[in-house]
Amino acid sequence: MFLLNFLPNWIFHAILAVGILGLISSFILNFIPSFKLYHLPIQVISVLLIAVGVWFEGAISNQAEWEARVAEMQIKVAEAEAKSQETNVQIITKTVKKLELVKTRGDDIINYVDREVVKDREVIKFVENCPIPQIIINTHNAAALNQPIEINK
Amino acid sequence: MKLIKLLAIASILLITGCTTVPVTVKFPDAPAMILEKCPQLKVIEGNTVSIIDFTKTVTLNYTTYYECAVKNDAWIEWYQKQKKIFEEVQGD
Repeated sequence: MFLLNFLPNWIFHAILAVGILGLISSFILNFIPSFKLYHLPIQVISVLLIAVGVWFEGAISNQAEWEARVAEMQIKVAEAEAKSQETNVQIITKTVKKLELVKTRGDDIINYVDREVVKDREVIKFVENCPIPQIIINTHNAAALNQPIEINK
Repeated sequence: MKLIKLLAIASILLITGCTTVPVTVKFPDAPAMILEKCPQLKVIEGNTVSIIDFTKTVTLNYTTYYECAVKNDAWIEWYQKQKKIFEEVQGD
């Protein structure tokens, strides 16, 4: 309600109060002969002021309710943002730890190959006598790149 | 003319009933770490390759797969948790 944002609430309370007072005074003025002439215009204006005043009283009440809901929503949004940030931190921390573990295990196996597997007699014998056939390498590379295998007959 | 004036006044009065809710909820951005693409797997280069090099390349590729799987799992977990938080606020 943009009018409520520009004007203070007391103006609308005053409009309603003036309307009610005007309506009451119009009835009183009806009994005073010299003011009887103004009775009807004052009554009409008073009724209009009351209508406008009641409209804005309702609007003020509605506005207050909305503002309360907005404030409540702002708190919930702030809480959700904090919770979201906390979740981000938890997930990142957990992921970093898991990645470190995966990398460490991978490195351990590579080191094991360099340290132990290369010294194994059976492996040495295999390396000396059995080179990996090219077709095996090609098949592995095709799988690693997820490409179709070129069949060489 | 009177009718037009009355309509104009009535429209202005009706506009006073308009309101906007200034609170909006934004779905959060995902952490950069889980948005990284999975790297390409390594291939074996050269014509004469020993079983040792072959094993090392396969091991590296398995490690790459598990790293990628961890990030993918993290992405799924992140999305499900953030969606739940987002829907809790939206649902109110």
